[in-house]
Amino acid sequence: MDTLVGLRSPDSPLRSSEPRVRVVRESAITLVVMTSCTVLALALRPHLAAANLAMVYLLGVVIVALLCSRWTSVLASFLSVVTFDFFCVPPYLALGIDDYQYLITFGVMLAVALIVSTQTTRIRAQAQEAVGRQVRTEALYNLSRQLTAQYKDGDVARIAAQCAEETFGGSFVIVSKEEKRNTDPDPHRSSASGSPMPDPALVQWAFDHGEKAGHGTKQFSEAPALYVPLRGAGGMVGVMGVLPPHGDFLNSEKMQFLEVFANQTALAIERIGSQRAAESAQLQVQAEKMRSSLLSAVSHDLRTPLASITGAASTLRVQGDKLESGTRGELLDSIADEAERLSRLVGNLLDMTRLETGPELRREMYPLEEILGAALRRFERQLEHRRVTTQLPETVPMVYADEVLLGQVFINLLENAMKYSPEGTPIELSAEVMENLVAVEVRDRGSGIPAGEEQEIFEKFHRGKTNDTRGVGLGLAICRAIVQAHRGTITAYNRAGGGAVFRICLPSQELS
Amino acid sequence: MNPLILVIEDDAPIRRFLRATLSAEGYVYQEAFTAEDGIIEANTRRPDLILLDLGLPDQDGLEVIRRVRESSQMPILILSARDKEKDKVAALDLGADDYVAKPFGVLELLARIRVALRHSVPRTQDRAVTRFGRIEIDMDERVVKVDGEKIHLTRNEYKLLCVLSKHAGKLVTQQQLLNEVWGPNRLDEAQYLRVYIANLRRKLEADPARPQHLQTEPGVGYRLVVD
Repeated sequence: MDTLVGLRSPDSPLRSSEPRVRVVRESAITLVVMTSCTVLALALRPHLAAANLAMVYLLGVVIVALLCSRWTSVLASFLSVVTFDFFCVPPYLALGIDDYQYLITFGVMLAVALIVSTQTTRIRAQAQEAVGRQVRTEALYNLSRQLTAQYKDGDVARIAAQCAEETFGGSFVIVSKEEKRNTDPDPHRSSASGSPMPDPALVQWAFDHGEKAGHGTKQFSEAPALYVPLRGAGGMVGVMGVLPPHGDFLNSEKMQFLEVFANQTALAIERIGSQRAAESAQLQVQAEKMRSSLLSAVSHDLRTPLASITGAASTLRVQGDKLESGTRGELLDSIADEAERLSRLVGNLLDMTRLETGPELRREMYPLEEILGAALRRFERQLEHRRVTTQLPETVPMVYADEVLLGQVFINLLENAMKYSPEGTPIELSAEVMENLVAVEVRDRGSGIPAGEEQEIFEKFHRGKTNDTRGVGLGLAICRAIVQAHRGTITAYNRAGGGAVFRICLPSQELS
Repeated sequence: MNPLILVIEDDAPIRRFLRATLSAEGYVYQEAFTAEDGIIEANTRRPDLILLDLGLPDQDGLEVIRRVRESSQMPILILSARDKEKDKVAALDLGADDYVAKPFGVLELLARIRVALRHSVPRTQDRAVTRFGRIEIDMDERVVKVDGEKIHLTRNEYKLLCVLSKHAGKLVTQQQLLNEVWGPNRLDEAQYLRVYIANLRRKLEADPARPQHLQTEPGVGYRLVVD
């Protein structure tokens, strides 16, 4: 129990002061006040009428009522009448009375004393209640404010326990549903800290039955700690274990408040649970959507070239001799072209899969033009009829990159530029070195980017609306994934005079 | 006599295509389906060139290179998948001469075979002057000219160019270049090599971003194209 003392801050209005201490304190106050009244009354007795001396005792009763509980002040009321009779009404130092008129005095005095003391204690209780309410409201506000900022089960449990300890004293443990499953039972924790809590059996009982268990309840009342079930809107979410300060029972008011506290915590835990569920559901929907669009795209894009290859090949096999040589050549060309298209498509799909599982970058320092050059060489044949200009800065711009992956970015951008701009139009490449980045642009004179789609074109399976182009809509998604893996950015916009610009910014590197 | 080419490849359609192509070009054609058979054929028939697929059913194609190189310097051309840069480099460093990435076109394949066969013929005389495109390298005078005009090269740039031109047309790995130019202690410093290549391109090529001669094989090495 020693460890628990450290958790308590000394004066919290919600904590129960110990009853025995209170009885002793109030008795002492009553005794002192009554003695003082008597001393004053004895001093004034020669000068004043007995009825006026009664006022002194009434004052005493009010003082007791201000300082002590209701029953003590009622007791003080009776005590004041008896003492008044004993000391101030003839015969002195005896309980009898000479004049029966005093019975009226006693009656009125008792009535006034009782009314005054009751009213006083009630007002005081109300004031205290108001203060308590405020403190509770603040504690709850504090709790909910801190809990809303949390996104993890463990954090909610920790913060709620901390708030509870600050508010109630004692020691708190919150076991959430998942945690219970994972760490049940946890002999390590209880033995390491020497704490008797949480007791897995009682946690389980409270969880299963949805009722309080342990200390101060009907179930397992001999246990040192109390277990409060945490019930959210959709069922049990965990259990709160309470080790009360100094082994005290919590009074009903505090118990009620504790339950409110538990509810707040339960809701917070539940909120996180449902948030997580919603997120994973959304991911699942996205994955589902991706899978179906992938399937439809792939089945279309794989089948189309396969159909032309099969068709052309079977025509050649069956009718090869009857065909003119020009037609044969055309069929052969289409087989070769379609096969190449298939190969690129499969390559893209493989790349995307590889990138999605977290690309393993093999980064080294490269002169940018080396990577650009390798990409341009891929399309040597296709670029024969176009003017391709490259504009490079005086000094060799170096990038810290995966040569093959970054090369793929330029390959895809060049392929796009060729696909979306008419034969014969120029393609421009340029690079500039800025303070801490290298910017590369690929520009064409094609149809440009449809308004408002500057972002979407980088999404997977997004395809440009052009009549005769085929592809799965992965090229730019691959570009973005690769550039982002290099901590760079890729943007697209239309250029003045028509055409698209793709701009890549990569962090530049100094060659050490 | 027509050169004998040994094809070690387990995929039947590719073998069929190679048989048709190579026979049509007048090469004598021999095939093996497994690494073990390939090694036996290579040792008994002594082909003029080996076309080797790295993914064989019984053993790694790299093992074939190792075993063949124990006794012979015959040119070995690798057929490999596109994304296997590591394998390509390993094969080249083990002594393979070049590679062709699958899927490949027949023109590319035949060009590579021609280059490899040409290199295997011992040269009768070392010509001191090499010319290609607008470039002329005079090894006696240690002078490099572009369009007849002398170009200033640093010592290492010149050495690098000489090594590449010695292997003209052939793919040379970064490790080979580093070893031959800077020596075996600088094998980790590929980035310097790249900067030297970039500088050479700026001095020799019309458009350094679209080099006609000093070409990069991404992830593998460099090739000096002299055709």
